[in-house]
Amino acid sequence: MKIRKLTAIWMSKLIGFACKKVGRQGVTLAGRVALKIYPDILKELSGEIREKIFVVCGTNGKTTTNNLLCSALEAEGKKVVCNHTGSNMLNGVVSAFVLAAGLNGKIDADYGCIEIDEASTVKVFPHFLPDYMILTNLFRDQLDRYGEIDITMNLLKKAMQTAPDMKVIVNGDDALSAYLAMDSGNSYVAYGIGQQYFKENEDSHEIREGRFCKKCGEKLYYNFYHYSQLGDYECKACGLRRPPLDYNAEDISMAKGLAFTVGGYRIEANYRGFYNIYNILAAYAACRNAGMELKSYNEVLQKFNPENGRMEQFQVKDTKIILNLAKNPAGFNQNISAVLEDEEPKDIIILINDNDQDGIDISWLWDVDFDRFKREEADIQSITVSGIRCQDMRLRLKYVDMPCELEPEVERAIRKKIEHGTGNLYVLVNYTALYHTHNILKKIEGESV
Amino acid sequence: MNITIGHLYPDLLNLYGDRGNIQCLRKRCEWRGIGAETKEFQIEDNIGFSELDIVLLGGGSDREQMLVCERLKEIKEEFKDYVEDNGVVIAVCGGYQLLGNYYQTKEGRIEGIGLVDLYTEQEEGRLIDNIILKSDLFDVPVVGFENHGGRTYINHNQPFGKVLYGSGNDGVSGYEGVVYKNVIGTYLHGPLLPKNPHVGDYLICKALERKYKRRIILEELDDVQEIEANCSIRKRFLKDK
Repeated sequence: MKIRKLTAIWMSKLIGFACKKVGRQGVTLAGRVALKIYPDILKELSGEIREKIFVVCGTNGKTTTNNLLCSALEAEGKKVVCNHTGSNMLNGVVSAFVLAAGLNGKIDADYGCIEIDEASTVKVFPHFLPDYMILTNLFRDQLDRYGEIDITMNLLKKAMQTAPDMKVIVNGDDALSAYLAMDSGNSYVAYGIGQQYFKENEDSHEIREGRFCKKCGEKLYYNFYHYSQLGDYECKACGLRRPPLDYNAEDISMAKGLAFTVGGYRIEANYRGFYNIYNILAAYAACRNAGMELKSYNEVLQKFNPENGRMEQFQVKDTKIILNLAKNPAGFNQNISAVLEDEEPKDIIILINDNDQDGIDISWLWDVDFDRFKREEADIQSITVSGIRCQDMRLRLKYVDMPCELEPEVERAIRKKIEHGTGNLYVLVNYTALYHTHNILKKIEGESV
Repeated sequence: MNITIGHLYPDLLNLYGDRGNIQCLRKRCEWRGIGAETKEFQIEDNIGFSELDIVLLGGGSDREQMLVCERLKEIKEEFKDYVEDNGVVIAVCGGYQLLGNYYQTKEGRIEGIGLVDLYTEQEEGRLIDNIILKSDLFDVPVVGFENHGGRTYINHNQPFGKVLYGSGNDGVSGYEGVVYKNVIGTYLHGPLLPKNPHVGDYLICKALERKYKRRIILEELDDVQEIEANCSIRKRFLKDK
């Protein structure tokens, strides 16, 4: 048995190494092979984790939250197994463990930080039961792959109920996630943003999921919204309401990066995007809940540079380029907010693909609030649309009266804006374009030094 | 001239970019100097069909469709009068299913409002893909995306189009959607209208003709981008046709 386990690990390492050499992402392949050779590989390796295993689930913010959590644990002197790249289905999870194992076939780690695709939880949990689950939010995403949110919620609930001792760290501001935590029967703590920060935006056309109480079906009443359906809600019929926030972000400031106070501790980060408050808060809540002091969290945040296309920064001559993933309406709306926080003149490239991993249905583009790009203070000098579905994206912008340039090849689009642009370029891409665009930007950045 | 578009229950039926259909109708009116007002109706609202020129019924999850179906039963008669009086309706996905007599799911039967004599039965496997139709109503093919578990049978009614690529109503007959008087029911979202400006204009034209009781010829618009988007889908999926 030992031999098969070792073979599985060595084979996967070889595949991982070979793929790296030829510049391909071989993460999921390595996992698939390992599982094939030795089906108990994940069960055994995860069992070698000395302390706790965290999993991170939810539509948006998984990768950032998970990587932050990993960095925070490492700052506490812990050794961590983490699926950094965001490969979050069963094979990706297996890979993370296999590639972290030593050549002797052993895992030498205190903690596991594993993000899992919501629908894959039912496939991963039979291999190991986590101690904690962070549940970030539930938004519509890739309806052609996952179906309606109700289906995702049912799968998650099923998985959660197989792990009754797992504690859930849930975003209390999301009625869907919070209801799921309550309904699962697992113990939970909630994090969130207690008070209203933004003035109510009357003309907001944001899509809000779960307007109706998941418990009784009545319409939910909201005291306020932060964005999408996140906010302070209550059901007048059955009494379901936002749970008391065990970790409450207060005194928020967005004047210079993000700053807020939680439980008397002031957190400051040079990040953009209101949504990142949730990511920072979630990782903090998880660590604190697992008994860590986390006194150096601000330093962790300062050093945190995930290099994975989440607000990743590049510099090419005089042009600052920010690459960010935008793959569903809630995520894209938050991207737009983050771009609008920057008052400097700017160019934007939007790249939309419809490969299998993106979801082949791009109707969600019409659920994004692109009207907001029109605001004068946005100071957008140009928008270029790119990718397989650039024609659809161009049409989307036409129907909010925003002219744009069409350039299916993203490299050409980027180079053009570096040559003749404002020196402030945002590149917003969906999933399958992320890795490719990241590599192009790395290449161009390399040429310029 | 002006028209009023009624968007039925957007809180519940808003699954596949349906707002894009509304946005498209409004813009295409606006660009021609035709006034277009949208009225959104929530589940508890009374709908004054006599004030409406176009009704849009979108798609929702099964659970939300069930809530809508209860409500639609109460306004069935008024809705029927509107349809029989040549009122324009565009019903997409779940909305299309609700137009019919019933939707038989594994869990039970969702009663439709029977505005059009058709019915839907849930079967194993969802029909999910890009889809292209040739409709007798237009020269230019209609492109979109379908995602449905129900198979719809339209009896003797006229289909919206013949399937050139994709599955259509039931994945077998080779036809998609239904046309009854000025009602179009279809599984196509994407959303439907932006990439098919001819369909949007058809609806606007029918609505104006009904309201102003004369023949209307709409002013032509610059649809280069719309047609290019439509063509790109056809080129990609109809390689040898």
